[in-house]
Amino acid sequence: MLKIDHLTKRYGDTLAVNDLDFEVTPGVVTGFLGPNGSGKSTTMRVIIGLDRPTKGRATINGKTYDQFKSPLHEVGALLDAKALDPARSARNHLRALALANRIPVTRVDEVLEFVGVASVAHKRVGGFSLGMSQRLGIAGALLGDPGILLFDEPVNGLDPEGIRWIRDFFRSLAKEGRTVFVSSHLMSEMAVSADQIIVIGRGKFITSGSVDELTATATGTVFVRSTDVGGLTRVLSDLHAGVVPANDEGLSVSGLTSDQIGEAAFAAGITVWELTPQRASLEDVFMDLTADSLEYGHSSNVVVP
Amino acid sequence: MSHAPTLVDITRSEWLKFRSVRATLIGVVTFLVLTIGLAALITLVIKSNWSQRSTLDKLAFDPVTTSLVGVFLAEFAVGVMGARFITSEYASGAIRSTLAAVPRRVHLVAAKIIVLLVTFFILSEIVVVVAFELGQFIYRTGHLPWASLSNATDARAVAFAGIYLTLLTLMGFGLGLIFRTTSTTISVYVTLLLIVPIITAFLPSSWQNDISKYLPSNLGRAMMSPDLSGSSFAWDTSAILLLVYTCAIVGAGTYLLTQRDA
Repeated sequence: MLKIDHLTKRYGDTLAVNDLDFEVTPGVVTGFLGPNGSGKSTTMRVIIGLDRPTKGRATINGKTYDQFKSPLHEVGALLDAKALDPARSARNHLRALALANRIPVTRVDEVLEFVGVASVAHKRVGGFSLGMSQRLGIAGALLGDPGILLFDEPVNGLDPEGIRWIRDFFRSLAKEGRTVFVSSHLMSEMAVSADQIIVIGRGKFITSGSVDELTATATGTVFVRSTDVGGLTRVLSDLHAGVVPANDEGLSVSGLTSDQIGEAAFAAGITVWELTPQRASLEDVFMDLTADSLEYGHSSNVVVP
Repeated sequence: MSHAPTLVDITRSEWLKFRSVRATLIGVVTFLVLTIGLAALITLVIKSNWSQRSTLDKLAFDPVTTSLVGVFLAEFAVGVMGARFITSEYASGAIRSTLAAVPRRVHLVAAKIIVLLVTFFILSEIVVVVAFELGQFIYRTGHLPWASLSNATDARAVAFAGIYLTLLTLMGFGLGLIFRTTSTTISVYVTLLLIVPIITAFLPSSWQNDISKYLPSNLGRAMMSPDLSGSSFAWDTSAILLLVYTCAIVGAGTYLLTQRDA
Protein backbone atom coordinates (compact mmCIF):
# COMPACT_ATOMS: atom_id res chain seq x y z
CA MET A 1 0.00 0.00 0.00
CA LEU A 2 1.33 3.34 -1.10
CA LYS A 3 0.20 6.19 1.09
CA ILE A 4 0.80 9.91 0.69
CA ASP A 5 0.32 11.35 4.12
CA HIS A 6 -0.29 15.12 4.27
CA LEU A 7 2.74 15.65 2.11
CA THR A 8 4.11 19.14 1.62
CA LYS A 9 7.29 19.96 -0.28
CA ARG A 10 8.69 23.41 -0.63
CA TYR A 11 11.71 24.38 -2.74
CA GLY A 12 12.78 27.79 -1.52
CA ASP A 13 9.80 30.02 -2.17
CA THR A 14 8.04 27.55 -4.41
CA LEU A 15 5.43 25.31 -2.91
CA ALA A 16 5.65 22.26 -5.16
CA VAL A 17 3.36 19.95 -3.20
CA ASN A 18 0.75 21.29 -0.84
CA ASP A 19 -0.70 18.93 1.76
CA LEU A 20 -1.33 16.02 -0.60
CA ASP A 21 -3.09 13.16 1.09
CA PHE A 22 -4.21 10.01 -0.71
CA GLU A 23 -3.70 6.29 -1.03
CA VAL A 24 -2.89 4.25 -4.09
CA THR A 25 -4.51 0.84 -4.07
CA PRO A 26 -3.05 -2.36 -5.47
CA GLY A 27 -4.59 -4.28 -8.34
CA VAL A 28 -5.46 -1.33 -10.55
CA VAL A 29 -3.61 1.17 -12.66
CA THR A 30 -3.81 4.53 -10.92
CA GLY A 31 -3.24 7.60 -13.03
CA PHE A 32 -1.66 10.64 -11.47
CA LEU A 33 -2.93 13.50 -13.53
CA GLY A 34 -2.00 17.16 -13.46
CA PRO A 35 -0.61 19.88 -15.67
CA ASN A 36 3.15 20.27 -16.02
CA GLY A 37 4.60 21.68 -12.82
CA SER A 38 1.69 20.53 -10.68
CA GLY A 39 3.87 18.46 -8.35
CA LYS A 40 3.60 14.95 -9.81
CA SER A 41 7.31 14.39 -10.21
CA THR A 42 8.05 15.95 -6.83
CA THR A 43 5.61 13.56 -5.19
CA MET A 44 7.29 10.61 -6.87
CA ARG A 45 10.73 11.86 -5.89
CA VAL A 46 9.63 12.04 -2.28
CA ILE A 47 8.17 8.52 -2.46
CA ILE A 48 11.54 7.04 -3.44
CA GLY A 49 13.46 9.14 -0.96
CA LEU A 50 15.27 11.43 -3.39
CA ASP A 51 13.75 14.57 -1.89
CA ARG A 52 12.98 15.14 1.75
CA PRO A 53 9.45 16.25 2.49
CA THR A 54 8.97 19.64 4.14
CA LYS A 55 5.99 18.22 6.03
CA GLY A 56 4.18 14.90 6.04
CA ARG A 57 5.54 11.77 4.43
CA ALA A 58 5.08 9.06 1.85
CA THR A 59 4.98 5.49 3.07
CA ILE A 60 5.20 2.08 1.48
CA ASN A 61 3.47 -0.55 3.58
CA GLY A 62 3.85 1.77 6.55
CA LYS A 63 7.54 2.51 6.07
CA THR A 64 9.32 5.42 4.47
CA TYR A 65 11.58 4.52 1.56
CA ASP A 66 14.87 5.06 3.39
CA GLN A 67 13.88 2.44 5.95
CA PHE A 68 14.25 -0.29 3.33
CA LYS A 69 17.64 -1.91 3.04
CA SER A 70 16.71 -3.52 -0.24
CA PRO A 71 14.24 -1.00 -1.64
CA LEU A 72 14.16 -2.32 -5.20
CA HIS A 73 12.22 -5.32 -3.86
CA GLU A 74 9.53 -2.94 -2.58
CA VAL A 75 9.27 -0.17 -5.15
CA GLY A 76 10.37 -0.01 -8.76
CA ALA A 77 10.46 3.46 -10.24
CA LEU A 78 11.10 4.99 -13.63
CA LEU A 79 11.35 8.73 -13.12
CA ASP A 80 13.71 9.93 -15.82
CA ALA A 81 14.76 7.46 -18.47
CA LYS A 82 17.74 9.55 -19.56
CA ALA A 83 19.21 9.77 -16.06
CA LEU A 84 21.88 7.16 -16.77
CA ASP A 85 25.64 7.26 -17.04
CA PRO A 86 25.97 7.39 -20.85
CA ALA A 87 29.37 5.66 -20.73
CA ARG A 88 28.09 2.48 -19.08
CA SER A 89 26.48 -0.42 -20.87
CA ALA A 90 22.83 -1.23 -20.25
CA ARG A 91 23.72 -4.52 -18.64
CA ASN A 92 26.34 -3.02 -16.33
CA HIS A 93 23.90 -0.30 -15.31
CA LEU A 94 21.40 -2.95 -14.22
CA ARG A 95 24.08 -5.17 -12.68
CA ALA A 96 25.21 -2.31 -10.44
CA LEU A 97 21.65 -1.78 -9.24
CA ALA A 98 21.19 -5.52 -8.77
CA LEU A 99 24.38 -5.93 -6.74
CA ALA A 100 23.37 -3.14 -4.36
CA ASN A 101 20.10 -4.97 -3.64
CA ARG A 102 21.36 -8.55 -3.69
CA ILE A 103 19.44 -9.38 -6.83
CA PRO A 104 20.97 -12.27 -8.80
CA VAL A 105 22.57 -11.43 -12.14
CA THR A 106 20.26 -13.92 -13.87
CA ARG A 107 17.42 -11.54 -13.09
CA VAL A 108 19.26 -8.78 -14.97
CA ASP A 109 19.27 -10.82 -18.15
CA GLU A 110 15.66 -11.79 -17.55
CA VAL A 111 14.39 -8.20 -17.40
CA LEU A 112 16.61 -7.13 -20.31
CA GLU A 113 15.02 -9.90 -22.36
CA PHE A 114 11.54 -8.95 -21.18
CA VAL A 115 11.72 -5.29 -22.21
CA GLY A 116 13.41 -6.18 -25.49
CA VAL A 117 16.82 -4.56 -25.08
CA ALA A 118 18.82 -7.76 -24.60
CA SER A 119 20.35 -7.44 -28.07
CA VAL A 120 21.92 -4.07 -27.20
CA ALA A 121 22.64 -4.86 -23.55
CA HIS A 122 26.39 -4.54 -24.08
CA LYS A 123 26.15 -1.20 -25.85
CA ARG A 124 26.74 2.05 -24.03
CA VAL A 125 23.44 3.66 -23.06
CA GLY A 126 24.61 7.06 -24.31
CA GLY A 127 23.68 5.91 -27.79
CA PHE A 128 20.20 4.73 -26.84
CA SER A 129 17.09 6.42 -28.21
CA LEU A 130 14.60 7.77 -25.70
CA GLY A 131 12.36 4.79 -26.38
CA MET A 132 15.16 2.33 -25.67
CA SER A 133 16.13 4.24 -22.53
CA GLN A 134 12.50 4.04 -21.41
CA ARG A 135 12.56 0.29 -21.86
CA LEU A 136 15.82 0.05 -19.95
CA GLY A 137 14.28 2.18 -17.20
CA ILE A 138 11.34 -0.20 -17.05
CA ALA A 139 13.78 -3.11 -16.79
CA GLY A 140 15.38 -1.33 -13.84
CA ALA A 141 12.02 -0.83 -12.18
CA LEU A 142 11.18 -4.53 -12.56
CA LEU A 143 14.57 -5.74 -11.32
CA GLY A 144 13.53 -6.45 -7.74
CA ASP A 145 10.08 -7.79 -8.69
CA PRO A 146 8.48 -5.06 -6.55
CA GLY A 147 4.84 -4.82 -5.44
CA ILE A 148 4.70 -1.11 -6.18
CA LEU A 149 5.66 0.48 -9.48
CA LEU A 150 5.99 4.18 -10.20
CA PHE A 151 6.24 5.62 -13.69
CA ASP A 152 6.65 9.32 -14.34
CA GLU A 153 5.36 10.28 -17.79
CA PRO A 154 6.25 6.88 -19.23
CA VAL A 155 4.75 7.33 -22.68
CA ASN A 156 6.87 10.38 -23.50
CA GLY A 157 9.13 9.52 -26.37
CA LEU A 158 7.53 6.19 -27.16
CA ASP A 159 6.25 5.36 -30.60
CA PRO A 160 2.61 4.24 -30.98
CA GLU A 161 3.62 0.60 -30.78
CA GLY A 162 5.59 1.27 -27.62
CA ILE A 163 2.69 3.19 -26.06
CA ARG A 164 0.38 0.28 -26.73
CA TRP A 165 2.90 -2.17 -25.32
CA ILE A 166 3.29 -0.12 -22.14
CA ARG A 167 -0.47 0.20 -21.60
CA ASP A 168 -0.94 -3.55 -21.81
CA PHE A 169 2.08 -3.98 -19.60
CA PHE A 170 0.63 -1.71 -16.88
CA ARG A 171 -2.63 -3.64 -17.00
CA SER A 172 -0.86 -6.96 -16.63
CA LEU A 173 1.18 -5.65 -13.68
CA ALA A 174 -2.00 -4.47 -12.00
CA LYS A 175 -3.69 -7.78 -12.73
CA GLU A 176 -0.89 -9.50 -10.84
CA GLY A 177 -2.01 -7.52 -7.80
CA ARG A 178 0.68 -4.84 -7.92
CA THR A 179 0.21 -1.16 -7.26
CA VAL A 180 0.80 0.72 -10.50
CA PHE A 181 1.07 4.48 -10.19
CA VAL A 182 1.52 6.33 -13.47
CA SER A 183 1.79 10.08 -13.88
CA SER A 184 0.85 12.00 -16.97
CA HIS A 185 -0.15 15.47 -18.04
CA LEU A 186 -2.12 13.97 -20.91
CA MET A 187 -5.72 13.33 -19.98
CA SER A 188 -6.35 11.43 -23.16
CA GLU A 189 -3.59 9.00 -22.22
CA MET A 190 -4.94 8.50 -18.70
CA ALA A 191 -8.47 7.98 -20.02
CA VAL A 192 -7.34 4.84 -21.84
CA SER A 193 -4.59 3.52 -19.62
CA ALA A 194 -5.77 4.13 -16.04
CA ASP A 195 -8.58 2.65 -13.98
CA GLN A 196 -8.43 5.13 -11.14
CA ILE A 197 -7.33 8.72 -11.48
CA ILE A 198 -5.98 11.17 -8.95
CA VAL A 199 -6.02 14.75 -10.18
CA ILE A 200 -3.76 17.42 -8.74
CA GLY A 201 -3.11 21.00 -9.70
CA ARG A 202 -0.59 23.42 -8.26
CA GLY A 203 0.51 20.79 -5.78
CA LYS A 204 -2.96 20.37 -4.33
CA PHE A 205 -5.30 17.42 -4.44
CA ILE A 206 -8.30 18.18 -6.66
CA THR A 207 -10.26 15.01 -7.05
CA SER A 208 -10.03 11.28 -7.53
CA GLY A 209 -12.17 8.52 -8.90
CA SER A 210 -12.63 6.25 -11.85
CA VAL A 211 -12.66 7.73 -15.33
CA ASP A 212 -16.46 7.30 -15.50
CA GLU A 213 -16.99 8.90 -12.10
CA LEU A 214 -14.93 11.90 -13.05
CA THR A 215 -16.72 12.53 -16.34
CA ALA A 216 -20.12 12.02 -14.67
CA THR A 217 -19.49 14.80 -12.15
CA ALA A 218 -18.93 17.33 -14.86
CA THR A 219 -21.86 19.28 -16.25
CA GLY A 220 -21.92 18.84 -19.98
CA THR A 221 -22.84 21.41 -22.54
CA VAL A 222 -25.69 21.37 -25.05
CA PHE A 223 -25.16 22.09 -28.71
CA VAL A 224 -28.03 24.13 -30.20
CA ARG A 225 -28.72 25.18 -33.77
CA SER A 226 -31.44 27.68 -34.47
CA THR A 227 -32.90 30.07 -37.10
CA ASP A 228 -32.39 33.00 -34.71
CA VAL A 229 -29.00 32.63 -33.04
CA GLY A 230 -28.99 36.19 -31.72
CA GLY A 231 -32.46 35.96 -30.21
CA LEU A 232 -31.79 32.63 -28.59
CA THR A 233 -28.51 33.92 -27.12
CA ARG A 234 -30.40 36.76 -25.44
CA VAL A 235 -33.13 34.45 -24.10
CA LEU A 236 -30.67 31.91 -22.71
CA SER A 237 -28.36 34.57 -21.26
CA ASP A 238 -31.35 35.95 -19.34
CA LEU A 239 -31.62 32.51 -17.76
CA HIS A 240 -27.95 32.84 -16.63
CA ALA A 241 -26.75 30.16 -18.99
CA GLY A 242 -23.28 30.28 -20.46
CA VAL A 243 -23.63 30.78 -24.20
CA VAL A 244 -20.75 30.67 -26.64
CA PRO A 245 -20.97 30.56 -30.43
CA ALA A 246 -20.14 27.14 -31.85
CA ASN A 247 -19.51 25.97 -35.38
CA ASP A 248 -22.23 25.57 -38.03
CA GLU A 249 -24.15 28.67 -36.79
CA GLY A 250 -24.80 26.93 -33.51
CA LEU A 251 -24.37 27.69 -29.85
CA SER A 252 -22.71 25.82 -27.06
CA VAL A 253 -24.81 26.25 -23.95
CA SER A 254 -23.79 25.39 -20.43
CA GLY A 255 -25.76 25.55 -17.21
CA LEU A 256 -29.05 24.38 -18.70
CA THR A 257 -30.36 20.99 -19.73
CA SER A 258 -31.57 20.35 -23.26
CA ASP A 259 -35.14 20.22 -21.91
CA GLN A 260 -34.83 23.66 -20.35
CA ILE A 261 -33.35 25.12 -23.53
CA GLY A 262 -36.12 23.63 -25.65
CA GLU A 263 -38.81 25.08 -23.39
CA ALA A 264 -37.19 28.50 -23.31
CA ALA A 265 -36.92 28.56 -27.11
CA PHE A 266 -40.57 27.51 -27.49
CA ALA A 267 -41.70 30.22 -25.03
CA ALA A 268 -39.77 32.84 -27.02
CA GLY A 269 -41.10 31.51 -30.32
CA ILE A 270 -37.70 30.63 -31.71
CA THR A 271 -37.32 27.63 -33.96
CA VAL A 272 -34.68 25.12 -32.89
CA TRP A 273 -33.13 22.80 -35.47
CA GLU A 274 -30.91 20.80 -33.27
CA LEU A 275 -30.53 20.23 -29.55
CA THR A 276 -27.69 17.83 -28.68
CA PRO A 277 -26.37 17.20 -25.16
CA GLN A 278 -22.55 16.92 -25.25
CA ARG A 279 -21.00 14.49 -22.81
CA ALA A 280 -17.98 16.04 -21.11
CA SER A 281 -14.72 14.36 -22.01
CA LEU A 282 -12.15 13.66 -19.35
CA GLU A 283 -10.20 16.45 -20.98
CA ASP A 284 -12.99 18.97 -20.34
CA VAL A 285 -13.24 17.80 -16.75
CA PHE A 286 -9.54 18.16 -16.33
CA MET A 287 -9.46 21.64 -17.79
CA ASP A 288 -12.33 22.75 -15.53
CA LEU A 289 -10.74 21.26 -12.45
CA THR A 290 -7.26 22.60 -13.01
CA ALA A 291 -8.53 26.02 -14.04
CA ASP A 292 -10.11 26.24 -10.59
CA SER A 293 -6.94 25.12 -8.92
CA LEU A 294 -5.07 27.99 -10.49
CA GLU A 295 -7.36 30.47 -8.73
CA TYR A 296 -7.15 28.70 -5.38
CA GLY A 297 -3.47 28.09 -5.90
CA HIS A 298 -2.43 31.70 -5.61
CA SER A 299 -3.89 32.27 -2.17
CA SER A 300 -2.84 28.91 -0.77
CA ASN A 301 0.76 29.64 -1.70
CA VAL A 302 0.91 32.16 1.10
CA VAL A 303 -1.04 30.30 3.76
CA VAL A 304 1.14 27.28 4.50
CA PRO A 305 3.92 28.16 6.93
CA MET B 1 13.02 -11.75 -0.12
CA SER B 2 16.72 -12.46 -0.02
CA HIS B 3 18.99 -11.33 2.76
CA ALA B 4 19.38 -7.62 3.24
CA PRO B 5 22.34 -6.24 1.32
CA THR B 6 25.39 -5.27 3.33
CA LEU B 7 28.09 -2.70 2.80
CA VAL B 8 29.97 -5.43 0.91
CA ASP B 9 27.16 -5.65 -1.67
CA ILE B 10 27.03 -1.89 -2.08
CA THR B 11 30.82 -1.79 -2.44
CA ARG B 12 30.70 -4.48 -5.13
CA SER B 13 28.10 -2.40 -6.94
CA GLU B 14 30.28 0.71 -6.74
CA TRP B 15 33.35 -1.26 -7.82
CA LEU B 16 31.47 -2.42 -10.91
CA LYS B 17 30.43 1.17 -11.64
CA PHE B 18 34.00 2.35 -11.18
CA ARG B 19 35.59 -0.13 -13.55
CA SER B 20 32.82 -0.28 -16.17
CA VAL B 21 33.45 3.14 -17.72
CA ARG B 22 36.23 3.94 -20.11
CA ALA B 23 37.01 7.22 -18.33
CA THR B 24 38.46 5.17 -15.46
CA LEU B 25 40.89 3.41 -17.78
CA ILE B 26 41.90 6.69 -19.41
CA GLY B 27 42.41 8.27 -15.99
CA VAL B 28 44.52 5.40 -14.71
CA VAL B 29 46.70 5.37 -17.82
CA THR B 30 47.19 9.14 -17.51
CA PHE B 31 48.14 8.63 -13.88
CA LEU B 32 50.72 5.97 -14.79
CA VAL B 33 52.19 7.93 -17.68
CA LEU B 34 52.49 11.17 -15.71
CA THR B 35 54.16 9.64 -12.68
CA ILE B 36 56.42 7.06 -14.30
CA GLY B 37 57.04 9.03 -17.48
CA LEU B 38 58.03 12.15 -15.59
CA ALA B 39 60.28 10.10 -13.31
CA ALA B 40 62.11 8.79 -16.38
CA LEU B 41 62.29 12.20 -18.02
CA ILE B 42 63.51 14.20 -15.02
CA THR B 43 66.07 11.64 -13.87
CA LEU B 44 67.45 11.35 -17.41
CA VAL B 45 67.81 15.13 -17.64
CA ILE B 46 69.55 15.23 -14.26
CA LYS B 47 71.84 12.40 -15.30
CA SER B 48 72.88 14.08 -18.55
CA ASN B 49 73.59 17.39 -16.76
CA TRP B 50 75.31 15.86 -13.78
CA SER B 51 78.88 16.63 -14.86
CA GLN B 52 78.06 20.34 -15.17
CA ARG B 53 76.75 20.59 -11.61
CA SER B 54 78.63 22.43 -8.90
CA THR B 55 79.87 20.44 -5.94
CA LEU B 56 77.39 22.21 -3.69
CA ASP B 57 74.56 21.23 -6.04
CA LYS B 58 75.78 17.67 -6.04
CA LEU B 59 75.77 17.59 -2.27
CA ALA B 60 72.19 18.93 -2.12
CA PHE B 61 71.02 16.34 -4.64
CA ASP B 62 68.10 14.24 -3.42
CA PRO B 63 67.66 11.09 -5.53
CA VAL B 64 64.35 10.22 -3.82
CA THR B 65 62.26 13.36 -4.39
CA THR B 66 63.64 13.96 -7.86
CA SER B 67 62.40 10.53 -8.94
CA LEU B 68 58.96 11.20 -7.40
CA VAL B 69 58.38 14.63 -8.93
CA GLY B 70 55.67 13.20 -11.21
CA VAL B 71 53.49 12.92 -8.12
CA PHE B 72 52.88 16.66 -8.32
CA LEU B 73 51.31 16.23 -11.74
CA ALA B 74 49.64 12.93 -10.97
CA GLU B 75 47.83 14.53 -8.04
CA PHE B 76 45.60 16.28 -10.57
CA ALA B 77 44.81 13.04 -12.38
CA VAL B 78 43.83 11.24 -9.17
CA GLY B 79 41.91 14.25 -7.82
CA VAL B 80 39.85 14.43 -11.00
CA MET B 81 39.15 10.68 -10.87
CA GLY B 82 38.09 10.91 -7.24
CA ALA B 83 35.84 13.87 -7.98
CA ARG B 84 34.29 12.33 -11.07
CA PHE B 85 33.35 9.19 -9.16
CA ILE B 86 30.51 11.25 -7.73
CA THR B 87 30.16 14.33 -9.97
CA SER B 88 29.66 12.25 -13.13
CA GLU B 89 26.60 10.76 -11.45
CA TYR B 90 25.20 14.21 -10.85
CA ALA B 91 26.03 15.28 -14.41
CA SER B 92 24.13 12.39 -15.97
CA GLY B 93 21.39 12.15 -13.35
CA ALA B 94 22.44 8.57 -12.59
CA ILE B 95 22.72 9.61 -8.93
CA ARG B 96 18.94 9.28 -8.77
CA SER B 97 18.89 5.61 -9.72
CA THR B 98 21.88 5.07 -7.44
CA LEU B 99 20.10 6.60 -4.45
CA ALA B 100 16.88 4.79 -5.31
CA ALA B 101 18.84 1.53 -5.00
CA VAL B 102 20.82 2.67 -1.96
CA PRO B 103 18.71 5.07 0.08
CA ARG B 104 21.10 4.87 3.03
CA ARG B 105 23.35 7.60 1.75
CA VAL B 106 26.12 7.19 4.33
CA HIS B 107 26.48 3.59 3.15
CA LEU B 108 26.80 4.81 -0.41
CA VAL B 109 29.61 7.19 0.54
CA ALA B 110 31.32 4.47 2.57
CA ALA B 111 31.19 2.08 -0.39
CA LYS B 112 32.60 4.68 -2.76
CA ILE B 113 35.37 5.51 -0.29
CA ILE B 114 36.30 1.85 0.07
CA VAL B 115 36.54 1.50 -3.72
CA LEU B 116 38.68 4.63 -4.08
CA LEU B 117 40.80 3.93 -1.03
CA VAL B 118 41.70 0.36 -1.96
CA THR B 119 42.11 1.01 -5.69
CA PHE B 120 44.15 4.16 -5.40
CA PHE B 121 46.25 3.00 -2.47
CA ILE B 122 47.37 -0.09 -4.38
CA LEU B 123 47.70 1.77 -7.66
CA SER B 124 49.57 4.71 -6.13
CA GLU B 125 52.01 2.53 -4.21
CA ILE B 126 52.78 0.51 -7.34
CA VAL B 127 53.21 3.65 -9.40
CA VAL B 128 55.52 5.44 -6.95
CA VAL B 129 57.65 2.33 -6.42
CA VAL B 130 58.01 1.86 -10.18
CA ALA B 131 58.82 5.57 -10.63
CA PHE B 132 61.33 5.43 -7.80
CA GLU B 133 63.05 2.25 -9.02
CA LEU B 134 63.16 3.54 -12.57
CA GLY B 135 64.73 6.79 -11.38
CA GLN B 136 67.29 5.01 -9.22
CA PHE B 137 68.15 2.67 -12.08
CA ILE B 138 68.87 5.67 -14.30
CA TYR B 139 70.98 7.33 -11.58
CA ARG B 140 72.90 4.11 -11.02
CA THR B 141 73.75 3.76 -14.68
CA GLY B 142 75.13 7.33 -14.60
CA HIS B 143 77.06 6.71 -11.39
CA LEU B 144 75.05 9.33 -9.55
CA PRO B 145 74.15 9.01 -5.87
CA TRP B 146 71.12 6.77 -5.68
CA ALA B 147 68.68 5.62 -3.04
CA SER B 148 67.23 2.24 -2.16
CA LEU B 149 64.07 0.94 -0.57
CA SER B 150 66.27 -1.02 1.83
CA ASN B 151 66.94 2.32 3.48
CA ALA B 152 64.03 2.82 5.91
CA THR B 153 63.87 6.61 5.47
CA ASP B 154 63.81 6.36 1.69
CA ALA B 155 61.25 3.55 1.76
CA ARG B 156 59.08 5.65 4.06
CA ALA B 157 59.31 8.63 1.69
CA VAL B 158 58.24 6.47 -1.26
CA ALA B 159 55.40 4.82 0.68
CA PHE B 160 54.08 8.19 1.81
CA ALA B 161 54.16 9.55 -1.72
CA GLY B 162 51.58 6.83 -2.45
CA ILE B 163 49.61 7.73 0.66
CA TYR B 164 49.67 11.39 -0.38
CA LEU B 165 48.11 10.49 -3.75
CA THR B 166 45.52 8.26 -2.08
CA LEU B 167 44.45 11.02 0.29
CA LEU B 168 44.24 13.52 -2.56
CA THR B 169 41.99 11.13 -4.49
CA LEU B 170 39.65 11.11 -1.52
CA MET B 171 39.94 14.87 -1.16
CA GLY B 172 38.83 15.26 -4.77
CA PHE B 173 35.93 12.90 -4.05
CA GLY B 174 34.97 14.87 -0.94
CA LEU B 175 35.00 18.14 -2.87
CA GLY B 176 32.84 16.40 -5.50
CA LEU B 177 30.30 15.52 -2.81
CA ILE B 178 30.23 19.15 -1.72
CA PHE B 179 30.13 20.90 -5.11
CA ARG B 180 28.44 18.19 -7.23
CA THR B 181 29.50 19.56 -10.63
CA THR B 182 32.77 18.39 -12.15
CA SER B 183 33.86 21.85 -13.29
CA THR B 184 33.36 23.56 -9.93
CA THR B 185 34.96 20.70 -8.05
CA ILE B 186 38.06 20.66 -10.23
CA SER B 187 38.34 24.46 -10.06
CA VAL B 188 38.33 24.33 -6.26
CA TYR B 189 40.77 21.42 -6.23
CA VAL B 190 43.22 23.16 -8.55
CA THR B 191 42.86 26.40 -6.59
CA LEU B 192 43.70 24.57 -3.39
CA LEU B 193 46.76 22.81 -4.80
CA LEU B 194 48.06 25.33 -7.28
CA ILE B 195 46.63 28.83 -6.87
CA VAL B 196 46.72 29.20 -3.09
CA PRO B 197 50.48 28.41 -2.97
CA ILE B 198 51.06 31.10 -5.61
CA ILE B 199 49.05 33.63 -3.62
CA THR B 200 50.85 32.85 -0.37
CA ALA B 201 54.13 33.44 -2.19
CA PHE B 202 53.18 37.11 -2.36
CA LEU B 203 52.66 37.39 1.38
CA PRO B 204 55.33 38.82 3.71
CA SER B 205 57.85 36.06 4.33
CA SER B 206 57.04 35.79 8.04
CA TRP B 207 53.42 34.98 7.17
CA GLN B 208 54.43 32.86 4.24
CA ASN B 209 56.31 30.36 6.38
CA ASP B 210 53.44 30.10 8.86
CA ILE B 211 50.79 29.58 6.21
CA SER B 212 52.49 27.66 3.46
CA LYS B 213 53.42 24.67 5.57
CA TYR B 214 49.69 24.00 6.06
CA LEU B 215 49.00 23.81 2.33
CA PRO B 216 48.25 20.32 1.00
CA SER B 217 50.98 20.38 -1.63
CA ASN B 218 53.59 21.34 0.99
CA LEU B 219 52.33 18.66 3.33
CA GLY B 220 52.85 16.25 0.45
CA ARG B 221 56.37 17.52 -0.09
CA ALA B 222 57.13 16.99 3.59
CA MET B 223 55.60 13.51 3.53
CA MET B 224 57.73 12.26 0.67
CA SER B 225 60.98 13.96 1.57
CA PRO B 226 63.58 11.79 3.35
CA ASP B 227 65.08 14.71 5.24
CA LEU B 228 63.28 17.48 7.06
CA SER B 229 63.58 21.03 5.92
CA GLY B 230 63.16 23.72 8.57
CA SER B 231 60.03 25.52 7.40
CA SER B 232 57.73 22.51 7.03
CA PHE B 233 56.14 20.04 9.39
CA ALA B 234 57.67 16.63 10.00
CA TRP B 235 56.49 13.86 7.65
CA ASP B 236 54.24 12.27 10.28
CA THR B 237 52.63 15.54 11.35
CA SER B 238 52.12 16.38 7.69
CA ALA B 239 50.45 13.05 6.99
CA ILE B 240 48.13 13.45 9.97
CA LEU B 241 47.22 17.01 8.94
CA LEU B 242 46.44 15.91 5.40
CA LEU B 243 44.33 13.06 6.77
CA VAL B 244 42.43 15.55 8.94
CA TYR B 245 41.80 17.80 5.93
CA THR B 246 40.56 14.84 3.88
CA CYS B 247 38.28 13.59 6.63
CA ALA B 248 36.88 17.09 7.17
CA ILE B 249 36.12 17.55 3.47
CA VAL B 250 34.63 14.08 3.00
CA GLY B 251 32.69 14.47 6.26
CA ALA B 252 31.24 17.81 5.17
CA GLY B 253 30.36 16.34 1.77
CA THR B 254 28.67 13.32 3.34
CA TYR B 255 26.67 15.52 5.67
CA LEU B 256 25.51 17.65 2.73
CA LEU B 257 24.55 14.52 0.76
CA THR B 258 22.33 13.31 3.60
CA GLN B 259 20.67 16.71 3.89
CA ARG B 260 20.17 17.71 0.28
CA ASP B 261 17.58 16.68 -2.28
CA ALA B 262 19.09 14.57 -5.03
